[in-house]
Amino acid sequence: MNESEEINISNEVNSDESDSDELILTAAQVIQIMEEAWSNEKFAPEILPHKYEIVECILGQISHVEENLSNLINDDLRRSIHQMELDRLRYLVSSYLRTRLEKIEAFVCCILKEEDERASRNKLSYLSPSELEFAKAYRDGLDQHFTDTLKLLPAEILNNKIWQNEIITPNLDAFVFAKAKSQIEGVMIERDEEFVDLEKGSQVIISYSNISNLITNDKVSLI
Amino acid sequence: MFGDSAYTLIKELDRNPGTLPPYNNELVGEVKKEICHLVQQNHADSMANDESILGENGTNYFPTIRARHAGVQRNLRCLLAYHYNRVKCLRTMRWEFGSILPPDIKANLSSIETNWFSKYSSMLAKYMRSISEDGGLNLTVDLNPPKALYIEVKCLVDYGQYELSDGSVLLLKENSRHFLPRNECEDLIRQGVFQHIVT
Amino acid sequence: MSLSQSYKPNYFSIEDILVTQERVPCKFLINVPKLGKLNPATEDLDIKPGTILELPMWLAEPISSGRQPLISIDLPRSYKETHREILKADAVAVDLHKFGINFYELGLYVKHLDPTGEVLKVLLHTFQSRFRLLMDLTENVGSDPTVQNRLDMLERMLFKSGHAARMRLDTWLRKSDLPMEAAAMVVNHKKRKRIDLEDLFKK
Repeated sequence: MNESEEINISNEVNSDESDSDELILTAAQVIQIMEEAWSNEKFAPEILPHKYEIVECILGQISHVEENLSNLINDDLRRSIHQMELDRLRYLVSSYLRTRLEKIEAFVCCILKEEDERASRNKLSYLSPSELEFAKAYRDGLDQHFTDTLKLLPAEILNNKIWQNEIITPNLDAFVFAKAKSQIEGVMIERDEEFVDLEKGSQVIISYSNISNLITNDKVSLI
Repeated sequence: MFGDSAYTLIKELDRNPGTLPPYNNELVGEVKKEICHLVQQNHADSMANDESILGENGTNYFPTIRARHAGVQRNLRCLLAYHYNRVKCLRTMRWEFGSILPPDIKANLSSIETNWFSKYSSMLAKYMRSISEDGGLNLTVDLNPPKALYIEVKCLVDYGQYELSDGSVLLLKENSRHFLPRNECEDLIRQGVFQHIVT
Repeated sequence: MSLSQSYKPNYFSIEDILVTQERVPCKFLINVPKLGKLNPATEDLDIKPGTILELPMWLAEPISSGRQPLISIDLPRSYKETHREILKADAVAVDLHKFGINFYELGLYVKHLDPTGEVLKVLLHTFQSRFRLLMDLTENVGSDPTVQNRLDMLERMLFKSGHAARMRLDTWLRKSDLPMEAAAMVVNHKKRKRIDLEDLFKK
């Protein structure tokens, strides 16, 4: 999905905010994008470009509806139904952000290095601003921790900071279940130098590295 | 042989998966001492080497230095792995116990680890506050996809009074059963106060 | 769900530190002064060329390379031809744990010592033939707990995760509603407390 679409969708929902009946329809699209982003993030070994606009939009909707609900009396059936829906949405968003955070922590040096490279080539950042801030704080905390615990060792070892060169990387060769969102031709299976075509809606088990670019291009989704 | 204490340190973690054994200050100190010792010996021998190149029959210490260097690297790796994996365990504890650890776990941390834990807690809190414009999002709850609004729970301990978000107060006694909104129970289930009853 | 990390063991990996602690047979090629204490069999100050010693992999690997290697590493017994033949004949029947508790992982470190590439082939063959056995074991849950004894560490890990996945699937199929549970570490913590208390009463 490209930038313009994203903004478009959040605008649509924002303009519909006043009318709660309309909202449910357009919100469905937003939720669908969120659900897909969630399962992609859950199954991809590496971190994917953030969907912060969607997250913001859904969280905005949640607090908006919650406000409305507080005006209803306690045993109103509508309240229970809406509350359930809100809980599910909150789970979706929380789980999505948690998965990202877990990856950020596990692969922090690797991710920050890639972010630096992206920034130097003027590419879009994969981390949201607050994720980036968290990642840096986490890395610095770890760095400080190692420096503190190794105190009293010879300076030549301390100054080396060997732990900064030992980067933990995700397993990009991990196998994933992917579903084609449209007809895709010539997906290269690297090692065998083979090519496969994917029909729209077809599902494959494939090494992540072979399709990682198709996920960022929104051509396949992980299931 | 050198590297043995460092290995013991790692064995200790391997034997205790999912828990945090007491910080082994003594052994960590020993490994550090060994590193210093090996580095010193290498310094001395490389000096001797420089001098003996001039003479005819001087001993070549270079092989010795290489073997010791491997020992230094090994010790360093074990030390870093020990501390790294403990930090990862602490990180999980922040998510499972919350920002306040039970006192007997707290006693197992080194002061540097306690420091790290509170730093991690505050960076996580800061991140969670920044998530949405109005007040943030607590990521340590909503861990399972919700199936029902209300759930049945059994209280496992004498907890005492517990206030619900609507202001009403419950008395939680051991073996008492309650039918409560799911989101009010989740924390207490995670902390082992409630048991979720599924029929 | 645990994150999928690179197959290549990382620097902080406890498993890899345990694997590299395993000893391999080495032969010293040159005189190494002052390190005689590595050899418990002599009182000599130096290690003489020709000395045969078992050294941990973490030490053997870095000093066996370079322009002037200190030692040459010999292939450990379990990877030599006689053992390879046994594995080729029927890998499933073998007690792999006896071959080496880290048979595969250590195999990856020693495979380059064999220029014919046979070790690599046998590693693959062994894993592939035993994988079906492993699948069967994880499916037949609740059976003999000693089945694990014949597996190497990598297989045990796969067995455990396969078994856990199977149990979760069973629970889900039966109830389709998994109860929310106390956090794993909280449960552990409670168990340990209980054990501590029991100890106290015994005294």
